[in-house]
Amino acid sequence: MSWMKRLFRNRDESVEREISFHIAEQVEAYIARGMSPQEARRQALLDFGGREQVKQSLREVHLSAVLEALKFNLRSAVRFIRRSPSFSLAVILTLALGIGANSAVFSAIDAVVWRPLPFPSGDQLIQISQHDVQGRGANRFVAPVRLEEWNRVASTFQSISGYYFDDLSELSGPLPEKITEALVAPRFLQVLEVSPALGRNFTTEEEHWGGPNAVILSYGYWQSRFHSDPAAVGQKVHIGNHYYPVIGVMPSWFHFPNRDVDMWTPSAPDAPFAQRRDATWFTVIGRMKPRVTLRQATADLATVQSGLGRQFPKPDAELTVQTEPLKDTIVGTVRSSLWLLYGSVSLLMLIACSNIVALLLARTAQREHEISIRLSLGASRRAVIAQLLTEVMTLAVLGSLVGLLVASAAAHEFHLMAKTLPRAEEIVLNWRVVVYSLLCAVITALICGLLPALRGTTTRKGCGLATSLAQASRTQVSTRNPVQWMLVTVQVTLAVTLLVGAGLLVRSLEAIGRVSPGYDPSHVLTLQVSGSWGETSDMKGVVQRIDRTLDGLRTLPGVEAAATSAILPGVPAKYQQEFKIDGKLDPDRKILADSRWVSTGYFETMRIPVLVGEACRRASTTVDVVVNRSFANLYLTGPAAVGHNIEQAAYNDFQSAGTVRGIVGDAREEGLDEAPMPTIYSCFSAPDPFPNYLVRTRAEPMQMAEAVRRRIHELEPGRSVYAIMPLQQHLDEVLSDNRLRTRLLSLFALTAVSLACIGLYGTLSYLGRLRQREVGVRLALGALRSQIVGRFLLQGLRAAGVGCVAGLALAVGCSRFLASMLYGVSAIDPATYASVVLFILLVAAIASLAPAVRAACVEPVKVLREE
Amino acid sequence: MSPLEKTDLLQGTLDLLVLKVVALGPVHGYGISQRIQQISASVLQVQQGSLYPALHRLEKRGWLAADWGESEKGRQAKFYRLSAKGRKQLASEEQTWNRLSKAVALILQTAE
Repeated sequence: MSWMKRLFRNRDESVEREISFHIAEQVEAYIARGMSPQEARRQALLDFGGREQVKQSLREVHLSAVLEALKFNLRSAVRFIRRSPSFSLAVILTLALGIGANSAVFSAIDAVVWRPLPFPSGDQLIQISQHDVQGRGANRFVAPVRLEEWNRVASTFQSISGYYFDDLSELSGPLPEKITEALVAPRFLQVLEVSPALGRNFTTEEEHWGGPNAVILSYGYWQSRFHSDPAAVGQKVHIGNHYYPVIGVMPSWFHFPNRDVDMWTPSAPDAPFAQRRDATWFTVIGRMKPRVTLRQATADLATVQSGLGRQFPKPDAELTVQTEPLKDTIVGTVRSSLWLLYGSVSLLMLIACSNIVALLLARTAQREHEISIRLSLGASRRAVIAQLLTEVMTLAVLGSLVGLLVASAAAHEFHLMAKTLPRAEEIVLNWRVVVYSLLCAVITALICGLLPALRGTTTRKGCGLATSLAQASRTQVSTRNPVQWMLVTVQVTLAVTLLVGAGLLVRSLEAIGRVSPGYDPSHVLTLQVSGSWGETSDMKGVVQRIDRTLDGLRTLPGVEAAATSAILPGVPAKYQQEFKIDGKLDPDRKILADSRWVSTGYFETMRIPVLVGEACRRASTTVDVVVNRSFANLYLTGPAAVGHNIEQAAYNDFQSAGTVRGIVGDAREEGLDEAPMPTIYSCFSAPDPFPNYLVRTRAEPMQMAEAVRRRIHELEPGRSVYAIMPLQQHLDEVLSDNRLRTRLLSLFALTAVSLACIGLYGTLSYLGRLRQREVGVRLALGALRSQIVGRFLLQGLRAAGVGCVAGLALAVGCSRFLASMLYGVSAIDPATYASVVLFILLVAAIASLAPAVRAACVEPVKVLREE
Repeated sequence: MSPLEKTDLLQGTLDLLVLKVVALGPVHGYGISQRIQQISASVLQVQQGSLYPALHRLEKRGWLAADWGESEKGRQAKFYRLSAKGRKQLASEEQTWNRLSKAVALILQTAE
């Protein structure tokens, strides 16, 4: 503020000098005409007219009236803050936390949900998947030939491409190093419209079968493996039996399809082994032409696909095409978590605001005196309101500036959550967040400041200057104070709503924790061994390799059992398909089941009980099938469940067909919060080249990690072992999103309850002070202290009670939003609601007790003497 | 001739007079008021209450430039001079004034 002051002072001085000069010259002129010095001076001043008026009009030339008022108000705001530093600090800190948390969540929503993907015209990018017409299969991956046909025929697209992954080993170092490679269809980088930061894109020759090898590295891999050496382009990486020349390095921000990818290499669509129409390889992405809508593009693709259906009835006639904006695919379910967070942070903010309103109301009541003097000296009501608002606005802006520090710290936290939060690295403190937080400051200032300002300046009958001055020594405020109580009630309402939400989430987590999964996840070590889809041209070899590894693991001392599985048990992944039993399709009801591939030893390793028949056997020429109890109860109603033949209804790359050998117990394979569904286990150890290995150990699983790694290195020196961790850790990670959400909401709820208690305490204390005289009189007239305490306590509890009722109503209203995030507990769970109400009433009673007792401890003699 | 009242000065006329006086060379506020009075043979007497705001307004518009210097009698004074922008403004205002006064004169003559 000092530069402003100096500016004004300089201007005033200069004006003063100019005027003095004028007068001095005039005086001299009069003296020259023969006047006496005194007479000359008097005359000169008279000629000049109102000196102050001239100065004022000069000031007006330089400053518009608004600026002048602002300067004055700001100055008075600074004075106001300086006069009550602790009050101001409390307000600034409260707002800093409120606005900071709010801006932090806003920055996340802005970056993750709102902003387009970081690619040029990112909103023109979509993901395309194929689906079975009758919903029989769940395989959305697309054959290379079909992808090329879509790209050639679909006229609404600039280009279409796709990708899939291989987990491979780079063999230049002393030990094989696991790398993730994205195999991409032609035009991959053209679709995304991104160029390598170093080097070049793939050439057409490199994208075709028989062309030269080429890889583009990720920025991270380039940093770690080549130490950011620009000469890396042109060098080679050694993968499997081949050497691949590095032709480029992607920019550091490029993480598509995900951040694990180390390198990209072309997958030729014209390779002889890529010609089957039922191959399921690619996740497909496409770039629509400018000004083409998603609807037009989808319709276009549907037409193209039905054309292909006529040309290739099997399998294309059975496929439909679905589209989704690429952003939605990437952002996924985080959206609702973020909005939940935003909602609760905003509720918290409202509570903080109402607390500040209560504080300010008390303050303006104390300043009534000052305000009425200003009003009676001719200040307009508008000017006084503007002054009071400027004070709050200054506090709020200061608060929001401190809040930006909170937001930038939070942005850093978000970056650490990159694993669970997509696009986390894009969350930054940019001008949008700054503008938003300043906007927050203005809005909170209006919310917090308007009511006190309006009330403070109301010219009530008999409340003019005279009354105010007369009452200066013995303030008599209406004891009802409905506004103050309304604020407390609002705080309790919001706190109850938040607490109910947090309570439901906590109970839901507890319910998940109590669930018996149907398998035993403790003492199971999981890991993967690198492999390539290219090996699948020799399936027998892959099966032999995996069986050899499994045998090697089973003979390790300390290992009880080992198995492979395509998908980890308990990690959400549904692969629901339609099946035929004994070659028959039931026209009335579909036989739908989750399809899983497991090796021999799976049920032993996971300790899933075999109820009927036997578990997966090894070395049969046909594929054995094991079903779970749900499947048997639902679909195999005949006398003997074992012996039926089951095959997939839809024509598909992955054929799971075979004879039912046994029935096993139901297990929550699809996630702890998913009830077991009918499941078919196909006994096959090599569903893909890098299945999950599950090893049951006698001791703590991680103690065996080194021995397991060494054994696999002996058996497969050219392959890397990665993702070694206990199964329990996978299951915990599945719930990490849920847990974080619950923890944050609980934190907010408890903060809200504390704020509401502070509000209750503050209001009661304030009223206690105001009513000292009344209490003194009552005591003098014979009231019992306990009665006084009771009266105050009752007032506090009444506000809390009304708040509880309103809060419960609000919680029921919001329950629909929360319902999808709950497991094993209803969104209007009576037990949760009741315990929240009890808790709030208890806490409210405690918060009211102290001020109530203090109010009753008045010494009647002392108070009455002060009169 | 007796001096005209301040209000008799046409709106904007003061600006024109000030610009014209300042065009003769750098001059301070007191000097301007004296010159206007002398040249108009005491018909026009400029009130300080209007002169100084006018000077500051013209300065703010960039038609006048000002700096501090020493007066004939050795006092510190704020001297105003015409800027290039002010010179143009003066020319156009003079033209407007001339046309206006001619038109008024014409009406007065023909109406007689």
